Amino acid sequence: MTIRLFQAALSAASLALLPSLAQAQQPSEQPPIGEPVPFELPETRNFTLDNGLEVTFIPFGLAPTVNLSLQVRAANLDDGAQTFLADLTGAMMEEGAGGRSAQEVATEIAAMGGALNVGVGRHTTNIGTGVLSQYGPDAVALLADLALRPNFDEAEFERVRANLVRDVDVQRAQPGSIATEAYRRILFGPDHPYGNTLPREEQLRGYEMADVQAFYDAHYGAGRSRLYVAGHFDEAAMESAIREAFGDWARGTADTAASAPASAGPIVQLIDRPGAPQTTIRLGFPIMGIGDEDAPAFEVMNALLGGSFTSRLTRNLREDKGYTYSPGSGETWTMDGGFWTFNADVTAADTAAALRETFNEITRLQNETPPADEAGGMRNWLAGIFILQNASTGGLINQLGQRDLYGLPDDYLDQYVPNILAVSDEDISAMAREYLPLDQMVLVLVGDLSVISEDVRALPEVAAAEIRE
Amino acid sequence: MKVYRGLATGFGALLLAACQPASAPDDTASTDTAPANMAETSLSTDFTVDVSYHELDNGLRVVLSEDDSVPTATVAVYYGVGFRNEPRGRTGFAHLFEHLMFAGSENLPHGAFDTLIYGSGGVNNGSTRYDFTNYYEVVPSNALTAVLWAESDRMRAPNLDEAQLDNQREVVRNEVFVNVINQPYGGWIWIDLPMAANENWHNSHNFYGDLTDLDAASLEDAQAFFDQFYAPNNAVIVVAGAIDRDETLATIEQYFSAIPAGDALPEIDTSEPRQEEEKFAVREDELANQPALAVGYHMPERGTPEYYAMILIDQLLVQGDDSRLNQSLVNEEGFASGVFGGINLLGNAFNYNGPMLWTVGMIHDSEFTVSDVMTSLDATIEGVRTDLVSEADLERARTKLLSDFYGTVDTATRFGLVDLLASFAMFDDDPSRINRITEGFEQVTPELIRATAQDYLRPTNRTVLEVRLADEDGTE
Repeated sequence: MTIRLFQAALSAASLALLPSLAQAQQPSEQPPIGEPVPFELPETRNFTLDNGLEVTFIPFGLAPTVNLSLQVRAANLDDGAQTFLADLTGAMMEEGAGGRSAQEVATEIAAMGGALNVGVGRHTTNIGTGVLSQYGPDAVALLADLALRPNFDEAEFERVRANLVRDVDVQRAQPGSIATEAYRRILFGPDHPYGNTLPREEQLRGYEMADVQAFYDAHYGAGRSRLYVAGHFDEAAMESAIREAFGDWARGTADTAASAPASAGPIVQLIDRPGAPQTTIRLGFPIMGIGDEDAPAFEVMNALLGGSFTSRLTRNLREDKGYTYSPGSGETWTMDGGFWTFNADVTAADTAAALRETFNEITRLQNETPPADEAGGMRNWLAGIFILQNASTGGLINQLGQRDLYGLPDDYLDQYVPNILAVSDEDISAMAREYLPLDQMVLVLVGDLSVISEDVRALPEVAAAEIRE
Repeated sequence: MKVYRGLATGFGALLLAACQPASAPDDTASTDTAPANMAETSLSTDFTVDVSYHELDNGLRVVLSEDDSVPTATVAVYYGVGFRNEPRGRTGFAHLFEHLMFAGSENLPHGAFDTLIYGSGGVNNGSTRYDFTNYYEVVPSNALTAVLWAESDRMRAPNLDEAQLDNQREVVRNEVFVNVINQPYGGWIWIDLPMAANENWHNSHNFYGDLTDLDAASLEDAQAFFDQFYAPNNAVIVVAGAIDRDETLATIEQYFSAIPAGDALPEIDTSEPRQEEEKFAVREDELANQPALAVGYHMPERGTPEYYAMILIDQLLVQGDDSRLNQSLVNEEGFASGVFGGINLLGNAFNYNGPMLWTVGMIHDSEFTVSDVMTSLDATIEGVRTDLVSEADLERARTKLLSDFYGTVDTATRFGLVDLLASFAMFDDDPSRINRITEGFEQVTPELIRATAQDYLRPTNRTVLEVRLADEDGTE
């Protein structure tokens, strides 16, 4: 770019010639922010097959692609005492279907621009893919094969189970997984799937193909499933492909899985990780369900306290003290309740100091109504990112899937932003008082106990708790 | 000011297609969907990104892309400095400096930038990569002018002060802990492997930064680095979304044109010598409990026919469940749960400008030795070096790429879109390349695939990195 020199010279010359430009100073005042342009959620269309399968069409997006997501209410919640049986079932569903091998299925869907993934979560298993628009109906047929006619070939079973054993072993080496496993165990105990985030190795090795088949038979079925179609697609062709592919799927058994409430502390668990340069923190409390009238106010409180980059905990622990890189907080919803968690990885030597600051920020918010501009900024933030959460096919599927899973009203998403904007500044502090009582906290620390234990135990909030080590 | 008008048709074509009269829909349920076109032409595969390209007198390149479908605007400022050209003795400095750019500027005290973005309903971030450092935000479109003002303020006059430097040094130290030092496998495939594979310091140093180098970084370093690299003539700004192109350009001129151009950038030789001997490296991992293996091959030069062939080879060999290495190593041999990899693991095949590796990696079972895995990997790779790929395999690789491309550019934040526009502007001086992205792949033949594999997938062009367990029993 040799012309740069000339440009620089020209630029200087023109500045000299044009006094108005030469005096152009950076305005020191931020330009005003205008009124937001309303964001309209796309219109969706729902229909239900005779066997109970619910279908939602979401026309949206720019690119000629279509996303398919079959969400089955068969997941870890249904594991019973067989932790990760849902995961093993999901993994076996990826091993071929309808008499086609895994390789054949993978090749077919790849030729449409997609991949078929089976993702197992707490509440739903998601069988999904995204393909070029013209292949939408073909992808529906293939997806139905996976859901309705998995091969469950005994010859693949041992390898798939060994993969899962290895994956779990790898997770158990991560401080975050170790902390979350212990934290969930305290909140939900050992007898509910919410309290068992990872299986024991010998437990996993004990599962047989028959267990997978039994799990599938007991929990998969049209009556427990919803299919979301989002993107660019020919609605008539897709509807007919869906009726053809899913029409004869059995309804399946009724959904009887029971949720469980989270229990409060005060409980502190210290887990030793000798030599760890950081301490991994999980701090939490049981909260309301997503459909509760307190939920919008709680979400604003969370954003202000720890759930956004401009939150108090991020500013304090990261931007002021430099104790941590990635502090954060958020709600996790269960079928009829939820829990709130603050998590961070802090420099080992600063562990007690970081906890002290965290407790102080919670207490301060409980005692003082936040300033109007800070509270208003957080309401604006949640209203603004609502657009980002809903402005993609995947995002819309997530949002509608959450609404449907938790049985929220049809207009939940339409009312979300108005509900957030209606939260008062006082409500924010009220939420912190009601749901974050420090004398009932659950706290898990994974770190080098020889470095952190003494200081942490000296904190009054910790000293008052039951301490497990 | 030079003005480059790129393709300005864009989504108009798509919208027109969607508004053509529909044949009678046979809806069974009540419907209030957007007009759907049931004619066979309804599923247009047309997809064109609106692009206009300009250059201010101070050398700042400006890319605008209008798309009014969602009322947000995405802004990205890319500076042509990454860890490849950071100073010797200051490993990790490009990234540390990225953090400093969030620490305030003349008219925005520390925290005010983030408050502006979040308080108006957006999100922002930055990242440091081989050949650029970027700062990006997406906001409701009504906040665009304020965001452009704020970006210009930190391009013109960031607050570089000692307290902020000390604070961000600690934040970065914690970032390195949480992502590398306190994690099993931390950084193995994206730091350790390039360090072992490359010979030129610019490509082979620890770009997250040695902790001693981070400690030594001074305010004088920061000022010198800013003066040298953070000038408008070394930057690209992209604005995409619900914008008015002319108004946005005028706003950018208003806020950025008075920022003086910087000196010419130093010429840095980042080239790698041709590798003629296979290399081996070992990482003893105290925290891991399963062994892992990574293999990196030097890529053909960006933009050459062989480079496009390698992008397709990547699809054939490692991307997706249908890929050959996933089939052989995972499905047939059961060495691992999955094989992963690609070109430029910290980005994609387009957003870099210099030597690069094509990488394959897996965490494999301790039951299998490195030699077991390598034997099978070699047999699969030898397949593309010896036999011509079928047209069907090649077509499938192209289809996967196209689908990936759509997935990259059609997102809620548009971060993938602005990244490609910025990269094509910065490295190719031609952001409209985004609308010709498939051209290079269409030229690739089975013969070119085989020839490229012969030359670039030879064992003497690769580095093998083993992650070994500190305790061979595999206990924690």
